[in-house]
Amino acid sequence: MAPTYNIAMVSDFFFPQPGGIESHIYQLSTKLRDRGHKVIVVTHAYEGRTGVRYLTNGIKVYHVPFLVIYRSASFPTVFSFFPVFRNIMLRERIDIVHGHASLSSLCHEAIFHARTMGLRTVYTDHSLFGFADAASIMANKLLKFSLSDVDHVICVSHTCKENTVLRASLDPLMVSVIPNAVVAENFKPLHSRPEVSANSFGHNPPPVRQLGPHDTITIVVISRLFYNKGTDLLTAAIPRIIQNHPNTRFIIAGSGPKAIDLEQMIEQNVLQDRVEMLGPVRHEEVRDVMVRGHIYLHPSLTEAFGTVIVEAASCGLYVVCTQVGGIPEVLPSHMTVFAKPEEDDLVAATGKAIAALRANKVRTELFHEQVKTMYSWTNVAMRTERVYNGISGAISEAEFYGYDAANAASWSATRGRSGVQSFALIDRLKRYYGCGIWAGKLFCICVIVDYLLFVFLELWFPREKIDICPDWPRKTINEQKETVKDARSRW
Amino acid sequence: MFFLTTPAHLYIRRPSPTTAEFTVTTCPPLTVPLRVALFSVLCVRVALVVGVVLTAYARLSPSPSSNPSSPSSTPSSSSSSSSSSPFLPFSSWDAVALLLQRWLDWLLASAAGQQCAALAAAQVLRPWWALGGVCGAAGWAAAALGRIHTTESLLVLRGLGIQTASSYGTFSHSGGSDGDCDVGYGGWWWFFGWLLQLALGTRSAQGSLGGGGSGGSAMATTRETRFIPTEKIRDVLINEAFRGLEVRYCLVVVVDGEEDVVVVFPRLLPPRRIVEAVWRGVRGCLYEPDGGGSGGGTGMRQAAAGEKG
Repeated sequence: MAPTYNIAMVSDFFFPQPGGIESHIYQLSTKLRDRGHKVIVVTHAYEGRTGVRYLTNGIKVYHVPFLVIYRSASFPTVFSFFPVFRNIMLRERIDIVHGHASLSSLCHEAIFHARTMGLRTVYTDHSLFGFADAASIMANKLLKFSLSDVDHVICVSHTCKENTVLRASLDPLMVSVIPNAVVAENFKPLHSRPEVSANSFGHNPPPVRQLGPHDTITIVVISRLFYNKGTDLLTAAIPRIIQNHPNTRFIIAGSGPKAIDLEQMIEQNVLQDRVEMLGPVRHEEVRDVMVRGHIYLHPSLTEAFGTVIVEAASCGLYVVCTQVGGIPEVLPSHMTVFAKPEEDDLVAATGKAIAALRANKVRTELFHEQVKTMYSWTNVAMRTERVYNGISGAISEAEFYGYDAANAASWSATRGRSGVQSFALIDRLKRYYGCGIWAGKLFCICVIVDYLLFVFLELWFPREKIDICPDWPRKTINEQKETVKDARSRW
Repeated sequence: MFFLTTPAHLYIRRPSPTTAEFTVTTCPPLTVPLRVALFSVLCVRVALVVGVVLTAYARLSPSPSSNPSSPSSTPSSSSSSSSSSPFLPFSSWDAVALLLQRWLDWLLASAAGQQCAALAAAQVLRPWWALGGVCGAAGWAAAALGRIHTTESLLVLRGLGIQTASSYGTFSHSGGSDGDCDVGYGGWWWFFGWLLQLALGTRSAQGSLGGGGSGGSAMATTRETRFIPTEKIRDVLINEAFRGLEVRYCLVVVVDGEEDVVVVFPRLLPPRRIVEAVWRGVRGCLYEPDGGGSGGGTGMRQAAAGEKG
């Protein structure tokens, strides 16, 4: 019988706000519940979404009343979250705190306080950051602070892992890569035929994608129109692509500050009949937009994972994307055409993709089934569960970190005997002290204050006075065979 | 002060299967030592109030009493001092003022009164705000001592509705507000419920409308009640809510046509064990055919049946 845990997912970003991190937390939580764990989500209060709520599958969401400053990230107050946080952790009997997203101060504070309370912590990084500009340096220092004392880190791609290890000066052994997944059922191609065989002639209708030389090819772009999403690149490339390939049109969905640039480009080149701008679309409408096209163009300048290109491939679109960040890891090469993040190369890559489609060299109708076997949230939950097992000592250090690493890891003086980080205050202080000449001392002061606050809270709000929540009935796992099969089929 | 209270605990009174009163109180059972202690608390409060009044009086009218060489210990001497006062007994108001002044002079002449006068004349309390602060603090302490016990109750009557009440002992007598029943018959419903309460003996008859908390505090109480008729009750449920720095369980009533739910036991917010017990009881009493099980006294049942008929 595998151990089950009480897990708290903490992030500033959760429903009703749409987005990748939000749906990641939700999907992971539901699948972890399916595996018999108890999951609660702690986030801040949104407009019209306050208090304590239940989602489907028995996931409990605490919308903590908090001040929101910028793009729904809450105000970083290092200690003010502690009393409420401790109350929630105790009443839900949480073992593992799992924080998400590096821009969420709620997540960092939760990890910090959880370590003070003696809970295991996991952090998932969803984004890439630079090292050069002032904002990044600041963000990286904060990340270093909260990740100085964390049990394990999960990154969504290997590129993201590299980035995070460098930013937070982590031991690479304590960073795992677990990619995102998509719910393939929500991203079916327009004409999904279950029995697509190698020769699709005979009784079946001819493939829908059988394109003639003069048929119109539709290129879809769905992204928020920000600088880092490569909208400038898109603005420059669209007129050239249309000029080179007369029978193409564009559908652009999304909103953002760069929308004006796109509209100006359309006006200047008189492309109103060739480029359609849809404005913002809801997540459940994304599929309906995608299936209108043949090619998905993703000009992003930085991307940790790029869930959207998996969704596009699942919808049966041929993907043209820039070779940045974690994108090259996401899809196999026969589904994508890569371009360098520059105008000429993007135009050339799109041309190559159009030519390949016109020559009917790409079997886009098979993409859906392939993506479905590659990405599943059940698999993500299984791998996350293994991380939980590793940090709580349910599987041995050698098994979790690898047999070679078990010996090599002995350099880490602060790691306890069971391969997990020690909770002793002096060990925690050691870890924080190494963060920098001034920052190290400042962080140590924060740790000590936090500890004193914890002692004060134990006196003022004693544990016995806090009501324990009854658990939602847990599920039992009876899918051992299925999981083995699932693990084999991956990659 | 701490031995005077207990953690919130629950009393259930079920005179009939269709009637139940759930009382959550911090007042322990009234034993003789507790009664003595409560009486001494009452004495302390009276002494505090009198002290505040005397100190203020000694400061405001310093002429006769601040002069310790003429201790006016007898009523005759105080009458002589009153004859020198500017008041003339023309109207009844002047007579009352005169009487009050005599009383205060008499009190001030006593040993405790001299202490108060000395306090009023103390060098530290020379500025008016210092004295005002001391008096205010003493008055606040007197008021706070009156709120030792909090008692909140929920009366459930099948076919009529439920009434929440929340009270704590104090001298300020605000009276029972009849809630904000916004239907035309709301007031009548409340009156009906009150009559029924009288009939069932849950409310002590000698108390005024607002007085006589059923928790059993000997002092007069402030009592806020609210009656919700059955047809306005959409549901009764247990909710979790952020309050202060914690998450608490609370029993709430969803009222038809109101945006906010009504929280039962809003001051005490008892622990989950009590909230669940009350919730089961309320559901049983309101909706379940056998009244949720346990029976009650027959006489009380007749009274309830009479009201229903």
